[in-house]
Amino acid sequence: MGTMGAVGLLGTSGAVNALAEGGLNRALKSSNKRVILLWLAGGASQLETWDPKPGAPTGGPFAAIPTDVPGTHISELMPRMAKRMNHSCLVRSLNTRDGGHGGGAQLMMRGRKDEPNLKYPDLGAVLAKELGRMDSQVPDYVNFYTSTEGRGSAKVSPGFLGARFGAINLHDGAKLTLPDIRKLESITQGDHEARANLREFLSRRFEQGRELASLKSHAAAYARVHGLMSCEKLFDVSGESQSVKDLYGPTQFAQQAMMARRMIEAGVPFVRVSRAWWDSHGQNFETHQELVPELDRVLAALIDDLKQRGMLEDVLIVTMAEFGRTPKINGSLGRDHFATAWSASLHGSGIKSGAVFGKTDAKGERVVEDEIGAGEFFATILEAAGIDHRKEYHLGSRPIPLVNPGIKPITKVLA
Amino acid sequence: MPDNDNTNFKVKKDHGRGDICFSVARVPDSGRCYFGSSDGGVYDIDLASDKPGAKRCEGDGHSSYVTGTALTAKHIVTGAWDRHLAWWDRETGKLIRRQQAHTKWLRGVEASPDGKLIASVADDMVCRVWNAETGKLVKELAGHKTKTPTDYPSMLFCACFSPDGKLLATGDKVGHVIIWDTKSWKPVKALDAPGHYTWDPKQRRHSIGGLRSLRFSPDGKTLFTGGIGKIGNIDHLGAPTRLEAFDWAQGKSLKVLNGSDKFKGLVEHMIFHPEGKWLVAGGGDHGGWLIFVDPMAMKIVREVKAPMHIHEFALNETADTLYAVGHNKLARWELEP
Repeated sequence: MGTMGAVGLLGTSGAVNALAEGGLNRALKSSNKRVILLWLAGGASQLETWDPKPGAPTGGPFAAIPTDVPGTHISELMPRMAKRMNHSCLVRSLNTRDGGHGGGAQLMMRGRKDEPNLKYPDLGAVLAKELGRMDSQVPDYVNFYTSTEGRGSAKVSPGFLGARFGAINLHDGAKLTLPDIRKLESITQGDHEARANLREFLSRRFEQGRELASLKSHAAAYARVHGLMSCEKLFDVSGESQSVKDLYGPTQFAQQAMMARRMIEAGVPFVRVSRAWWDSHGQNFETHQELVPELDRVLAALIDDLKQRGMLEDVLIVTMAEFGRTPKINGSLGRDHFATAWSASLHGSGIKSGAVFGKTDAKGERVVEDEIGAGEFFATILEAAGIDHRKEYHLGSRPIPLVNPGIKPITKVLA
Repeated sequence: MPDNDNTNFKVKKDHGRGDICFSVARVPDSGRCYFGSSDGGVYDIDLASDKPGAKRCEGDGHSSYVTGTALTAKHIVTGAWDRHLAWWDRETGKLIRRQQAHTKWLRGVEASPDGKLIASVADDMVCRVWNAETGKLVKELAGHKTKTPTDYPSMLFCACFSPDGKLLATGDKVGHVIIWDTKSWKPVKALDAPGHYTWDPKQRRHSIGGLRSLRFSPDGKTLFTGGIGKIGNIDHLGAPTRLEAFDWAQGKSLKVLNGSDKFKGLVEHMIFHPEGKWLVAGGGDHGGWLIFVDPMAMKIVREVKAPMHIHEFALNETADTLYAVGHNKLARWELEP
């Protein structure tokens, strides 16, 4: 997928804002950016993924393996990603200070906590607004969350941006498609199209001589709904080649990641694929023996698939959760909630390939270098997607910055 | 069970440790034990003493959790998550051989009753049988599926020989048991105990449980499987402990035994009284316990809390002292009137 021209940018709401601020280069940079978030719901263990501590009393039984980035080791449960760290960067120094599922999820998805009278938009809503197109015929924000555990505490929210930038939630694992987009069976295709043509004819006649913005908005809304009604094919992976299916694997998470790639390819700016549930208070190692190889395969498949389609330069993949897991191993051989020193990862577009940011101590109990919070990670994702983290929205006359004042992105991991 | 068959074991001494102790083997006619640790070490300790000092065996045998310890005439044989088996000299406590035994994480090591064979099980889903002294591979036993029905990696947790050494049973994550003839090394029977395995397809979409221990009765006719029952919330080991008895030759489940509500978690290990008077199971969740079963009546006759989650234990010849290793602790139990 190539970079869009400046003319095409005029149809992009985010780009219009950026041009108004004189950020043409940034607008060009963000013109075709897309983001896939793999949400590791429940809290994946950093020690069994990105920040292994083999041999430490807290390290667990798994070994660390070298990667294609000299000096960087990850868990032996991720052999595929070990060969793809040159498309990745790791952040090993998150201290997010909230070990609750609900609080941690809100913090990571919004980069900050809501205020009593102000609900902030989450990452997907901001990206939908900044990267979505007014005339888009695909959704701007899709959220897969088909397991039931933790769904309530990791709710997506457009906050003050409103429903236009809210997610389309896909919760039914057996029937993944946009809700309520099918035309009524009692209406024939011919009638359906005839009605649309009549509506358009009447609208155009009414618009003659009238220059009201609301009329254009009305027409755009109809066009968008009409477009969304033809989106069902995005959810049908039967047309994918067997080699691509084999790349991702047979699990539900793999299927949804493949759908996410299809959506991104069709122009959806943000898709969250939630893989629940990692909350391994008991039998942490067996749980991670199941879930990490699946993550390894799916993440590597996304990187390879996007690269093969020429899209990896434009698509950022993020893995994160509401927190990590305790270095201390409990009596059930589990690890509990831990927000003090944990990891997340970035892959593909906008990042400095192979970078590792931050460091934890020998037991993984605290951050000893480059500690950051949720806000800094949120700002980093925005910048990697080509969005100026210093941008402000306005609620009436009140300016609302995309991140809290003083929060800066991690420049060391940005391209 | 006759009334005079006492199971009144009490903890006489426990010893706190910073590590997790996964496996133990006892030197005959003594309280001297070798145990495997989460720090990769193999330790020599006299648990009959009230103030034992644990001495680490010399040599770099393992780099991960030592999950199997067995004794032969001359050696201590250990296995670990690092995929390796290690042979240690019982006289000197020094490492004499280390070799890769599996391609994935090694879960357990068992010695045959005559001490001539060592069986190791691992998550590559094969059981390998070794010459206990030379370390040469005798046989590879493949038959357990590498994937669960939902296409996730399976795990091969446990193995045990029959008391006469003629059979070897292996058990995996989904509750599948294969019984092998140790002469022909052919499978002679397969059993399924799926009640030990929980796959949550809706709330959490992963699994927990599995077959964690196996034990033949002294007459070899009954095979007990140990693990945990079906779990509602698989974030925790929050289900009653579960044992299932099989007439293995008939392929028939005889009885399922569940611990009471206060005795939840995994059955990590089981041992029969030498005369078959009782079966004792040990394990736990965050805490631990011992559970005694009357194998004639097929019922649980006693449950007792332990000072830690028990991973393995050894019983002395007179069946009146029990040496347990587990989470951050070692403990000696003695039978009281």
